[in-house]
Amino acid sequence: MTESFRVAQKIGLLFRPEDDIPRDIKDWAIGQLSTESKSIGIKSISNSHQIEYWPEDYLPNLSERAEMLRQLRLYEDMIQKDKSLSKIEMDRLLWISEKKNNIRFLDELRFAHRNVYAEDQVKQRFSLFWSNHFTVGISGTTRGLIGHFMDAAILDNLNGSFANMLYKVTTHPAMLTYLDNIYSVGENSERAIQCRKNNKCKVGLNDNLGRELLELHTVSPAANYTESDIRATAQILAGWGTIVDKPQLEKFGLFNHWDAFVSNRAEPGTKLVLGKAIYAGKDGLHNLTEHLASHEHTQRHLAHKLCQHFVSDDVQSVDIEHIMKIWQQSGGDLRKIHQAVIERAIASKAPKFQWPAIWLFQVLRISDSTYFLGWDDIHKDLNDRRMSAKKVFQELGQPFWAKRQPNGYSSSKSYWISGEFLERRLRFSEAIYNTAHPQLTPKEVMDRIGVNSATRNLVEGLSGRKRQFIALMCSPELMGV
Amino acid sequence: MAKLDMTRRKFLKFTGASLFLSAVPVSGFTKDLPQGNISVILLQGGMDGLTAVPPIGDPALASLRQEIGLSNPIKVNPFFGLHPKLQHFSKLMARGEASIVHATSFPYTKRSHFEGQNYMQGGGSSPFSTTTGWLGRALDLALLPGRALSLELPLILRGSLNVDNFYPARVNGSSKPEKWLIEQITMAHQAEVARAFQAVGDKVVDQARSNIPRDPVSLAKYAGEQMSTKGGPVASVIRVNQFDTHALQGADEGSHGDRLELLDEVIKAYREGLGDAWDQSIILTLTEFGRTASVNGTGGTDHGYASVGLLAGGLIDNSRVISEWPGLADVDLYEERDLYATIDYRSVCAACIERVLGLDHDLISQKVFLTSKLKRTYDYIFS
Repeated sequence: MTESFRVAQKIGLLFRPEDDIPRDIKDWAIGQLSTESKSIGIKSISNSHQIEYWPEDYLPNLSERAEMLRQLRLYEDMIQKDKSLSKIEMDRLLWISEKKNNIRFLDELRFAHRNVYAEDQVKQRFSLFWSNHFTVGISGTTRGLIGHFMDAAILDNLNGSFANMLYKVTTHPAMLTYLDNIYSVGENSERAIQCRKNNKCKVGLNDNLGRELLELHTVSPAANYTESDIRATAQILAGWGTIVDKPQLEKFGLFNHWDAFVSNRAEPGTKLVLGKAIYAGKDGLHNLTEHLASHEHTQRHLAHKLCQHFVSDDVQSVDIEHIMKIWQQSGGDLRKIHQAVIERAIASKAPKFQWPAIWLFQVLRISDSTYFLGWDDIHKDLNDRRMSAKKVFQELGQPFWAKRQPNGYSSSKSYWISGEFLERRLRFSEAIYNTAHPQLTPKEVMDRIGVNSATRNLVEGLSGRKRQFIALMCSPELMGV
Repeated sequence: MAKLDMTRRKFLKFTGASLFLSAVPVSGFTKDLPQGNISVILLQGGMDGLTAVPPIGDPALASLRQEIGLSNPIKVNPFFGLHPKLQHFSKLMARGEASIVHATSFPYTKRSHFEGQNYMQGGGSSPFSTTTGWLGRALDLALLPGRALSLELPLILRGSLNVDNFYPARVNGSSKPEKWLIEQITMAHQAEVARAFQAVGDKVVDQARSNIPRDPVSLAKYAGEQMSTKGGPVASVIRVNQFDTHALQGADEGSHGDRLELLDEVIKAYREGLGDAWDQSIILTLTEFGRTASVNGTGGTDHGYASVGLLAGGLIDNSRVISEWPGLADVDLYEERDLYATIDYRSVCAACIERVLGLDHDLISQKVFLTSKLKRTYDYIFS
């Protein structure tokens, strides 16, 4: 590939036919970090070349999301209590309500659109990296919150400090719900004391978020923290979340606020985490995330992850050291850190294996294919063989709206190499050719991106455009191996 | 490991077939036995051994587990019960075709899912110390094929060139890729990517099979059928996830019980799929850790240490609960919170490999688990 395409494959999503190919790719890539991010996509596949802004109605804030979930629950309740309905009628009505009120379907499609049509492709890649680092899977109400989390906790904080993103992520209701912190109550909190006195309720600590905050989000097990550090972290987190009493839940439907700290659930007293004293009160979490963000083990852990994701499959310690140095010099400024990652990715000539989802976005962009439905299409019963965004990501083995483990998807190439994973590459290439109307022929794509001679020999040795298309997209060059 | 104290000795009287690892004889070579097949069910998230197989005879159990204690466990012996959702497993025990290993774990105490999952599959000296898995290394030594029923090839099966995976594709607008085209693409690739593309080309799946549902139960039945076929895989791996019940895990009913019910159905489906080959089968569960002995503040349990291993299959001649029970009193718990592991589960896996693949124990210890010190537990499981 030409240098521009090589770099855009590693740290971006490749150029669409309407994109200008930048002359100075490093300048372009760094400039991308400051590009404005917009939700753009297509309304309908029947008018697939009209790329426009997503409607405001489909970009709900937290309170609107809460209301949608409340409606969904009310409706579910109503349908399930209606004895006159047959099982089939009931399922059909539930499905209609799901489509109307469950924002996850639109969020997931909007996520796909952003990546396929985005003008801020480098930002989208970093955004996905961090959304995966701070995994929020589906657990109860989080289905309606993941889209908001990706936009407001990750993308909106992409150019601030890591400490700030860490704090925003940790206090977002999606994270507090997904890792059970909303249930956690300090054992010596007013609430716990009251419960013990009345003997009516049993409440206490839940260490799920505390453990993953240390293990996955920041310092990693390399820091040799102890069970006491984890417990202290969980105690600092106790009270963060919101009211989970059933009547309250039914009334509000969903935890509709960010930054909610319920002081009567908080654990009093000073806690000690990795040698740092954290005082009681709402500011405690802020002090903790600041401390963790500046910890050397956090820097090393994340420098390694960034290098593995963007620079090379065989991570080089010189790259890690460089990113760590920039991290320390800039005080954890993500814009500077991302810039350093971009520079190392460009300097490294090693290929970089791409996740199935990233590969799919890149294939769609360079061939100018319309694969994902428009936002108006998903409420229609289209007589079309296309899959929903949900099914596409599931089938690729990389759904972001799913019950998943908090460690996120691996950036290690070896995980993604298996017969079944590679059969998906072959089949999605064929499906895109058959159903998504690529506007560019394999030859046009090859000429434009400047493939190497091995790729050209592979493709030109085959007869038929479909075979050529499949082979091109599954070539070592396009897969980044 | 803590030394055995009087409290534990008292419990041991009730457990029947107990096991003192220090006194295990090392002998025997099993190549004269017919080759069997082995299936591993990966229980992801950390199975709560005290819920699956509650030690009903331990006086500390009830107070530790007030909200999540079982009201009516199936009685296995005076000391151990079985979760009521493990119906099929209990019937297998009654027929002498299933055993339980309790208070067992891989030697890993740090309570991280991701280190623990890596370690239980890798089976090396510590988490992330190997890029191959113990079952893959065993198959490589025995030159026998294995198959995972998942989209990825899990670490546990890596290390042999004779392993593949199966997870039927559902991509609208696509068909089974042309063999000739795959060959061309394979030739353009190198190393493990080329081998994986080659596997796509080599895959023989009849049309009926390509449409099987992808839930663990259907996949287990399919895996059993494949293993019962001449020339089919002798090992299979299936995953059952969501055992990580930090909040509201339930008791007889509820989320942890639901996972156990699914596990029970997976074992049942294996048996159906295996048919006559069941007589030569062993199925074992594997989980990264157990859960805290005590219920947490939110009706669930947090990451712990020892759990339970369930073994089923016709290769088992006598059902047993194999345990050196460490006790649940405060002083008996690991770091005053978790069930202690008194049996190294690697030894249990090694015994299953020895029985199925006919490899010598010392060879398994050194080449499969990369240690010379693994105790032999074969006679406790298969005699």
